Amino acid sequence: MMSRNSMYTNPKPCKHLADYKLRHGLSGYNLLQEQIRTTPSGKSSVKNHQTEIPRCCFCNGYQKRLYLCLICSSISCSSHTLLHSQCENGHDIAVDIERSELYCVLCCDQVYDPDFDKIVMLKHLMDLPRSGNGVDVSAGRRSSKRRRLCSALELDLKKTKQLVSMRDLRAKSCYPLGLRGLNNLGSTCFMNSVLQALLHAPPFRNYFLTGQRNHEVCRKRSSDRLCLLCDIYVFFSAVFSGDRTPYSPAQLLYSWWQHSANLASYEQQDAHEFFISVLDGIHENGVKARNTGECHCVAHRVFSGQLRSDVTCMSCGYTSTTYDPFMDISLNLDTGNCPSTDLANKSLKPSDNTYVSTLLGCLDLFTKPEKLGSDQKFFCENCQERQDSVKQMSIKRLPLVLCLHIKRFEHFPVRRMSRKIDRYMQFPFCLDMNPYLSSSVVRNRFGNRMFAFEGDELDTSTEFEIFAVVTHSGTLDSGHYVTYLHLKDQWYKCDDAWITAVEEEVVRASQCYMLFYAQKMLYYKANEDLVCQPVSPRADPFLPIAGCC
Amino acid sequence: MSAKRSSINRPPTPDVDRDRENQEPTLQEIINIKMIESGEKERLKELLRERLIECGWRDEMKSLCRAYTRKKGRNNVTVDDLVHVITPKGRASVPDPVKAELLQRIRSFLASTAT
Repeated sequence: MMSRNSMYTNPKPCKHLADYKLRHGLSGYNLLQEQIRTTPSGKSSVKNHQTEIPRCCFCNGYQKRLYLCLICSSISCSSHTLLHSQCENGHDIAVDIERSELYCVLCCDQVYDPDFDKIVMLKHLMDLPRSGNGVDVSAGRRSSKRRRLCSALELDLKKTKQLVSMRDLRAKSCYPLGLRGLNNLGSTCFMNSVLQALLHAPPFRNYFLTGQRNHEVCRKRSSDRLCLLCDIYVFFSAVFSGDRTPYSPAQLLYSWWQHSANLASYEQQDAHEFFISVLDGIHENGVKARNTGECHCVAHRVFSGQLRSDVTCMSCGYTSTTYDPFMDISLNLDTGNCPSTDLANKSLKPSDNTYVSTLLGCLDLFTKPEKLGSDQKFFCENCQERQDSVKQMSIKRLPLVLCLHIKRFEHFPVRRMSRKIDRYMQFPFCLDMNPYLSSSVVRNRFGNRMFAFEGDELDTSTEFEIFAVVTHSGTLDSGHYVTYLHLKDQWYKCDDAWITAVEEEVVRASQCYMLFYAQKMLYYKANEDLVCQPVSPRADPFLPIAGCC
Repeated sequence: MSAKRSSINRPPTPDVDRDRENQEPTLQEIINIKMIESGEKERLKELLRERLIECGWRDEMKSLCRAYTRKKGRNNVTVDDLVHVITPKGRASVPDPVKAELLQRIRSFLASTAT
């Protein structure tokens, strides 16, 4: 019924736990199960007497950690567990009463057993209100998983013969394919920056370069109408042609204006808004959306994932779960500030000004349980009234390419004012999204458990590699977007028509606005495709490519 | 003649060797029992947990544990070690407002159950 998460390696049991299991199997655990009590907040404790206070049988103490022997049920405090084990031979394994966690007396350490955790969590699930307990106990839907994998491979497999043949003799063979400056057509750096990232999103790039977009037979073009997908195809062909002179994506701009009429102007636009709008345009222009199931347009196949939102009633523990698709994730900057509790008197950190925001911190913030305000009381199905509740987000399914958007523009509709947050944010080049998956987040609700029970994504990896960073400099009204591309272990700065190779320190120090990560396997495969000869040692690392052939 | 009269009202001498269980519970124990029975202790624990998470105390303890584990080596550290190492630091770094709030709650509980 429940599958184990292979990503989470279970620690090997100590000798004593192994001995205990051999001799007693699961009988001790099963007996214990009835005595476990759970709270709505996810804590499981062992309570064998409802009214009596558990006390150590040696010293009568009740204030330390108390451990219940799995064999004879006698309770000892942390100072006397060893004494108990010495008195009774073989009574080595105990349970922390308050936390329902296994403890080996002889190793003096916590030990883990998935079978034990399974039993604890089963009890927990049984105690929760019946419907919608927030935990999906159905077997993983393998068929849809397989379909998605195949889809991913399909975007990837159709291979590089075409790429190689497109290489123009004029191409500077020391630089990777697909590096070409884009002319600014009038405050269009917002578009250029996003296009550079899209050009190198592995599955997206492959789709357009391997002829899956057959623009010859496009119905729209034949009837002289605009087709965004065709224009993107033409754009890709031009950039990967090997011609290094800066390209003007005028047709694409015009095509996009037709789609997003409200954004059609020469004013500065938001790059993130453009990104969403282009994906939306691709979706609408492309394959007819199906009524059921997932959309198979290239935008969705590459960028779409699924978010899970759990709202838990704080009174009874009933959890309502909803799933929503996403094309990107917008993150608030983590500032290390505590919402309540004035720490001015006893500050834990020396000075709040030295706190550095990190991407992982933002992701932690995103998946942190959030108490909903008293004005947002959630109607609990179980209690049949509005209750205080806690909301928690997690990622149910990761996309092939993950776009993370940092919310740097704050809007205050009441004051009719907007401002930009310039705070620096540190970001990694390799990102493991495992802690933010629903399987990890939901598992953590039940305390310190090794056992996972969601239909885990055993096939898809959670490791991502960065390939593009869109940065913003300046103010909200007058700023400039620049994209850094990570190709074949070298970083390139794409500033409209100017492309230069840069050191990774420059990228790390930049003010990121949108981060593009690709699943590790796809990223490495894509880099193999970019036929490239090593740069000669004499070459100036800052030699611009733009304008020279 | 001063006849020694045995006082029939005199209470029996307490047996020093008697088990601890038969001794009168201390005030602390009485309060603790009352708090557990009424469920107040559990509520206070939840409240404390929430406050300590909110103000970053738990994250601070986590990073102390991580630092200690890194120094000693992952396989040379037990939970007991960690508890011993961080307990004094943890106790000392609980923010005053949190302490004040908890004390206030306990005070009002005592006031409400005063007999």
